[in-house]
Amino acid sequence: MSSSSHHTTRVFEPKPSQPAPVTAAGPIAWLRNNLFAGPLNSITTLVIVAFFLWAIPPLLDWLLWSADFSGTTQQDCTSSGACWVFIQAWSQQLFYGSFPDTEIWRINLTLVLLALVLSSPYWLPHHLRNRLDLALLVIFPFVAIAILDGRILGLEYVSTDFWGGFSLNLLLASASIILGMPLGFLWALGRRSNMPMARSISVILIEFFRGVPVLALFFMGSVMLPLFFPEGTNVDKLLRVWIVLTLFMAGYMAEVYRGGFQAIPNGQYEASAALGLSYWQTTLLVILPQVIKVSMPNILATSIMLFKNTTFLLIIGIFEVLSTAQTALTNSNWLGGYATEAYLFVGVVYWICCFGMSRVAANIEKKLDTSHQS
Amino acid sequence: MKKLASILTATLALGISTTATAGTLEDVKKRGTLSCGVSTGLAGFSQKDEKGQWSGMDVDVCRAVAAAVLGDASKVSYKPLTAKERFTALQSGEVDVLSRNTTWTHTRDTSLGLNFAGVNYYDGQGFMVSKKIGVKSALELNGAAVCIQAGTTTELNLADYFRANDMEYTAVTFDTSDQTRAGFESGRCDVLTSDQSQLYAIRIGLKNPSDAVVLPEVISKEPLGPVVRQGDDAWFNIVKWSLAALIEAEYLGVTSANAEQMAKSGSPEQQRLLGTTGDSGEKMGLSKDWAKNIVMQVGNYGEIFERNVGMSSPLQIARGLNAQWNKGGILYSNPIR
Repeated sequence: MSSSSHHTTRVFEPKPSQPAPVTAAGPIAWLRNNLFAGPLNSITTLVIVAFFLWAIPPLLDWLLWSADFSGTTQQDCTSSGACWVFIQAWSQQLFYGSFPDTEIWRINLTLVLLALVLSSPYWLPHHLRNRLDLALLVIFPFVAIAILDGRILGLEYVSTDFWGGFSLNLLLASASIILGMPLGFLWALGRRSNMPMARSISVILIEFFRGVPVLALFFMGSVMLPLFFPEGTNVDKLLRVWIVLTLFMAGYMAEVYRGGFQAIPNGQYEASAALGLSYWQTTLLVILPQVIKVSMPNILATSIMLFKNTTFLLIIGIFEVLSTAQTALTNSNWLGGYATEAYLFVGVVYWICCFGMSRVAANIEKKLDTSHQS
Repeated sequence: MKKLASILTATLALGISTTATAGTLEDVKKRGTLSCGVSTGLAGFSQKDEKGQWSGMDVDVCRAVAAAVLGDASKVSYKPLTAKERFTALQSGEVDVLSRNTTWTHTRDTSLGLNFAGVNYYDGQGFMVSKKIGVKSALELNGAAVCIQAGTTTELNLADYFRANDMEYTAVTFDTSDQTRAGFESGRCDVLTSDQSQLYAIRIGLKNPSDAVVLPEVISKEPLGPVVRQGDDAWFNIVKWSLAALIEAEYLGVTSANAEQMAKSGSPEQQRLLGTTGDSGEKMGLSKDWAKNIVMQVGNYGEIFERNVGMSSPLQIARGLNAQWNKGGILYSNPIR
């Protein structure tokens, strides 16, 4: 046993593993694999890096380092860079239009209401959602008009001459999308209907509003339509434009829904019929939810398109954000050539909003995803 | 549900307004505001500032009419119109006056169902050259490259002028005035042509305004003025004489500063203009002091010009044709008596 007392238990201690060779892992390997995998790859990488080195510093210099940020007039723009003073000085016009200072809370209130209405599926209790959501949506545009106009609610009257800026783009787009979606659904139903009258009317409406460019529709709404009204009757230009946009949206949505309808298997209709559901029950409770789920990406794409189309209003003299920017450029106190700043600003604001919309859309799609594969 | 529907309809109805068609003057008085069609943005003529306030030569004509009719120059609701919409807006009754740098031409006056009430700015197409080419007259421009904006009558006038003077040119065409300016600045052309009032606006936008000079030649006639619907002669007269009062006030030396005093102690002509004597207002269905309101609240033509496009404005346009007839211009108002 003495020998065993000398015996000490030796535990296997592995040497710490060597780091992988730099050619197989780590940043150098990553560079090799992804940027310098071959001669062509390496050249492309070098060219792109050279381009960035050439383009970015002057761009940043113009955008930030030698740009002017503080001041109130053109004279405060003295350096060689961008003149953000221009945007700052015109920011209220660009966002709220010429709405009186003391009444701007009404625009803010409307925008908050819009956000609440749009997010209502997230915060409304379950049992209320189905009943209230659609009603809230459809009522919203009218409530917004009542708040902004003010006459019905006994507030100070602000005529549409003073509405404008980016808030107008937002509100006009959402009001037309909100009303265009159900209207488009009706048209899509009409198009699938067996009744020849309903079908032909729907087809004519859809094809007209989808086939005519939105610019042509605006011109008809602003130049032609007034001549058909009885003498002495004026329909507000903004109201005409809203109607045009809503019908345009409905035309496009009808076709989006049609795609959705075609994706619904016949078995769904047969099963509903077997359960004794009526036409409207089948449509609203069985088919519509599936159609919306299938068409979600297209619905969002169409909505974003319409939102961007609201800038076309500039050609009929409505002061939405783009035309406000152009008007600012023609003011004789701001003739220093700030077009780049103005258009860049409008572009970035739009991009942020549209990107935000597409993120929300992705989120909704994930929520709606009930596919059985996963 | 019925109540809801009626509220929704009521909201929509907010956008619809009906006016009795008794006559524009009665309509404007009843409404309490003058609806005036202006440009969506033209430096010195109709422009909005950062506060949303309108100003400019064309805007001041609107204000003058409002002062004459309603006694308050601020009671104007401005309807910004694009070039394509302007005549429809007037014909359909959306605006009472169109004061939107509109050239008075035979075709417009005779075939569109409207009347020009006078001229508030004599414009004309001109040339701007960069100083370093050392040209003093448009007749030295043979062989020049000319920057123009596409699709305007400018192109046509330019071709006519060069052909008539047996000269040649190369046209460099752009879409917007911003691009035209950029083209001129980068040296794509030696000359830029546009209406003179616009040349001055383009010139300020240059990086170095003093490098460019506007040549004296004017190659087309562009008399700009307010327009009204045909068939309402009473209203036509009011707009015509409101404009005339601006010009006459300058001729008689009545300004916004001295009008009050002139009304009491001025010459017979001044007192007649300001309504102390005579009944020029009553004859048009206006108050006695209609012209006094115009001058007190808006100023006379000279003040308007200086403030908006003249030497005390960024544009710095010389009076030129727009001076009074006795000062070398062609501005001439018919007598108010």
